[in-house]
Amino acid sequence: METHKKISSNVLALVFACLGMILGCVKENIVVETTEQVSITGYFEANPDKFSEFAAILDAANVSSVLNAYGLYTIFAPTNEGVRAYYQRKGKQSASDFTAAELRDLVLFHLLPDTIGTTAFTDGKLNRLTYYGQHLVTGVANVGGVSNTVINRQANLVEGNIAVNNGIIHAIDQVLEPATQTVAQLIESNPDLQIFARALHETGWYNRLNVLPAENPDPDSVRRWFTVLVEPDAVLAEAGFPTYEALRERFSHTGNPADPTDSLYLYVAYHVLPDARYLADIVSRTSHPTWAPLEVITSKYMGQEVLINDDIFNGMHEPGIGIDPAASDRSATNGVLHIAQGHFNIKLRSPIPVYWDLADQPEFRRLPGFRNGSLVHTVNLAQGGSHLEAIRWERDHIQYQANAGEGHFWGDRIMIPMSGTTNIRNHWVEFTTPLLVRGRYKVWVCYRTNPRAPIMQGYFNGVPLPRTLNMAEYNIGNTPEGEMEALGFKRHTNSSSNNFVGRLLGTIDVETTDRHILRFEGIAGGGDANGTWWDMIHFIPVDMDQLYPKFQPNGEIVQRPAN
Amino acid sequence: MAMIKNIFYVGIALVVLLTASCDKWLELKPEDGLIREDFWKTKEQVAVAVNGIYASLLEDRLVTNLFAWGELRADMVAYTGFATIEELNLMRGNMLPSNALSHWGQLYFSINLCNTVIAFAPLVLENDPTFTQEQLAAYQAEAYAVRALLYFYLYRTFGEVPLQLTPTYNDAAIERKGKNTKEEVYAQIVSDLQWAEQHAPLSHGSIAKDKGRITRYAVHTLMADVFLWEDRFEEALAACDKVIDSRRFGLINAENQSMWFNTVFYEGNSNESIFEFQFHRGKLNPFFNALINANRRFTASELVMEEIYTYDLINIENYDRRGNGAAVRSSDMIIWKFAGASGGQQDMRIRTADESFAHWFVYRYPDVLLMKAEALAWLNRGAEALELVYQIRERAYALETTDLNPSPNSAEDIAYFILQERAREFAFEGKRWFDLLRYAKRNNYAGINTLLEAVLVNVEANSFNSVRNKFRDPNAHYLPVFVDELERDPYMEQNPFYR
Repeated sequence: METHKKISSNVLALVFACLGMILGCVKENIVVETTEQVSITGYFEANPDKFSEFAAILDAANVSSVLNAYGLYTIFAPTNEGVRAYYQRKGKQSASDFTAAELRDLVLFHLLPDTIGTTAFTDGKLNRLTYYGQHLVTGVANVGGVSNTVINRQANLVEGNIAVNNGIIHAIDQVLEPATQTVAQLIESNPDLQIFARALHETGWYNRLNVLPAENPDPDSVRRWFTVLVEPDAVLAEAGFPTYEALRERFSHTGNPADPTDSLYLYVAYHVLPDARYLADIVSRTSHPTWAPLEVITSKYMGQEVLINDDIFNGMHEPGIGIDPAASDRSATNGVLHIAQGHFNIKLRSPIPVYWDLADQPEFRRLPGFRNGSLVHTVNLAQGGSHLEAIRWERDHIQYQANAGEGHFWGDRIMIPMSGTTNIRNHWVEFTTPLLVRGRYKVWVCYRTNPRAPIMQGYFNGVPLPRTLNMAEYNIGNTPEGEMEALGFKRHTNSSSNNFVGRLLGTIDVETTDRHILRFEGIAGGGDANGTWWDMIHFIPVDMDQLYPKFQPNGEIVQRPAN
Repeated sequence: MAMIKNIFYVGIALVVLLTASCDKWLELKPEDGLIREDFWKTKEQVAVAVNGIYASLLEDRLVTNLFAWGELRADMVAYTGFATIEELNLMRGNMLPSNALSHWGQLYFSINLCNTVIAFAPLVLENDPTFTQEQLAAYQAEAYAVRALLYFYLYRTFGEVPLQLTPTYNDAAIERKGKNTKEEVYAQIVSDLQWAEQHAPLSHGSIAKDKGRITRYAVHTLMADVFLWEDRFEEALAACDKVIDSRRFGLINAENQSMWFNTVFYEGNSNESIFEFQFHRGKLNPFFNALINANRRFTASELVMEEIYTYDLINIENYDRRGNGAAVRSSDMIIWKFAGASGGQQDMRIRTADESFAHWFVYRYPDVLLMKAEALAWLNRGAEALELVYQIRERAYALETTDLNPSPNSAEDIAYFILQERAREFAFEGKRWFDLLRYAKRNNYAGINTLLEAVLVNVEANSFNSVRNKFRDPNAHYLPVFVDELERDPYMEQNPFYR
């Protein structure tokens, strides 16, 4: 027992030694905090050589504690040099020479909700508003071969994307200063924009453009902001209006420019867009509503130029007006100002018919078999893998089919598998129409019958068309054309086969001159794997001939024969 | 009693052993591999090590890098909705140091295998009397050449990179010394190649090996590329001539497009081929997910057919053999060079997942001819240069619309014509970005606008100005050092554009 005890104590010592080894080889890794990252405030405190001045501002503005707590912010933090330069500009010595309210405004202009990394920077405004209530714009400038990201045209990015536990910090080399003038004041204070400024006053637009978003009673927050495309005096002079009087003389047909039906009023309203749209926003969409009722401007990017109202209309190219990139994107407290390089106004157009050949899409034109009569040419376009500018569809594929035979304009068509019930075919397809001039049109879908086609409901800009589209329906034979039209049928080619149908779906009101969305949804019938066969869609003004011209398989367009 | 005692001691011994095994230093030999002292005994082992270099070139990440670096910033590849955010950021001019696409680790892994062969293969001379000095030199030449190739990719992609020239067989051997200058990296590439040029074999005995391993012709071709990058035209010309004069390579006429596609791209290792990474059924390339299946991340961009190959709208029988039916399938813009199981104008069959073994084409003979043409153009021998370009175009039935018809006296115009011809010839082979950059940077960035135009193809309209201005900074043409590398090596400096 004695030995046993001795052994036991030896054993115990060994066991402890082993335990020591076990513990010794396990690294101590105790987590005492939920995150090792510091907060925004903590980061500034940890880097006083760069941010002690800005930290002092945060303190004096009473926002340090907020930025030390949970949250999700993006903050643009000026370095010490930047802050000192700002003091100097303002004739101050330190943060204590400002009121707390001034500093608070200053900080709020540097602070945004959410985390916005540099990859989200564009040529235009950040997608969130600062807490101050104005937009910040970003860009990149290249000086002497070195590129820098520029914030609000005022500061260079020094270091971006510093991640902290309650957001993201972008270090910048200057303090950002918010705009102080409204769009109206911005225009009025610019000596090159005096004719337009006068027009703003005379039409009453000056007062509307002089309201801060926070004080604007418009229930739609987007409409509390304004984008103004100003024609400078030089441009107006070039266009024949050297003075405001000349402009009024030409446009003010009621004699009262403040009358909303007056053409001078409309001229001004056509130059004002709702929302703050920087050039980057303008080129991101193809059309923009204006304050002139139901009138839009179109926009596009050509080469390195932003063009507005550069349109193809009725097959003719109408050259657009450039926007001066250097003078534009001027921020105001309630919007943004752009300078147009030419004179433009609402275009008065009367409705013209659009005979849209669905198989004539720019993407199809690139196919080797496009309109190639010698070849049965089928091309599958899978959603996702390939896209068409003017057609979107839900799933699966659509086809371009050349050599589809008689009864088709140019002999070709597109095939779209549609269904009202099953989920293997498209439940919907959406067409973006060619430019349609404001007016009333009859809509005809011209197709080849497929008895298994489903029944579809069409929507023009979301408004249901009066008649459903049943592409299983045949044309009606042995009926005079006038009677056919009364029943909502026509023959759009020279084929007398009842397989080819032009079907009237109803009358639509096109409210703005623009491209619009025509959508079809399957509502009944399982459809057919071979799809629905679409040749053309006609938009014909209500007061025009609905039956002619006709469209031949060889591409010929036949006008109504003279009697 | 004695029994209990024994059990105790045995138990204690076990505990001691088990606990001690967590200390690395007690175990000298690695458990999962050979150590150097046991290796490097026979010439077969050298052969295995060299094979290992080539096998490492087939790693998914390596070719993925080469494709991304060579294509994504340029104008011929478009993204689909399945591209990753990192890929999108690279394509849209939003590259950041945290983007893993700038991770160069896989290249250094292969470089290390080269370094190992270069350093240790000589030990075999002592142990294996059947191993000759010539055999050794031939193996080492392959290692030098592959190392040069990989450094050349790094040099063009990052500018400055660390030169790792000795094997890192343990942690202590990893040098933490930051980046070398561009001049040092370039000089190393040239000297490696000059060594390899002396000793690389002319043939390895079979066609597959001659295309899959470094031959002296591959070294000449790589040298031509290296010299051309720094405008050393005379030397580039001489290197090209060595390949051409060997008469071992030729252009394959593409009149029968589907046959040509099958020979050059589906099968690979054709008479046009100089060096290809040899993917096979047992080791597939990473392109099935990236380029082929329904969730593919990339397609050809619209302008590949519209501007680079173009269509003859009047005569359908007249088409560039390298365009629809070879490089792309124009109906859905799938990158057919890697996706196609059969080419041609009809019945194009797509590769299935287990067929995704298209080779990675490092050099094909047309590259030699077009590099020679580029060198000639800048040596004021424009007429000779154009002759070579038209030789390429004729065999591929290039369309007249793409014949820029430059004056033989204008080096600039010929160089631009060659740039566009290279786009047609080497579409998606990981060369477009480097071609654009070489063209753009020549003569103090005289061609920068061509590069800017290409960069904008995948950029959204609301960022055109920003991205254009970013790429006016030459540092933006090179990728950032990945954040992990900066953390690992205190001497590593970031490219100033990304600081």
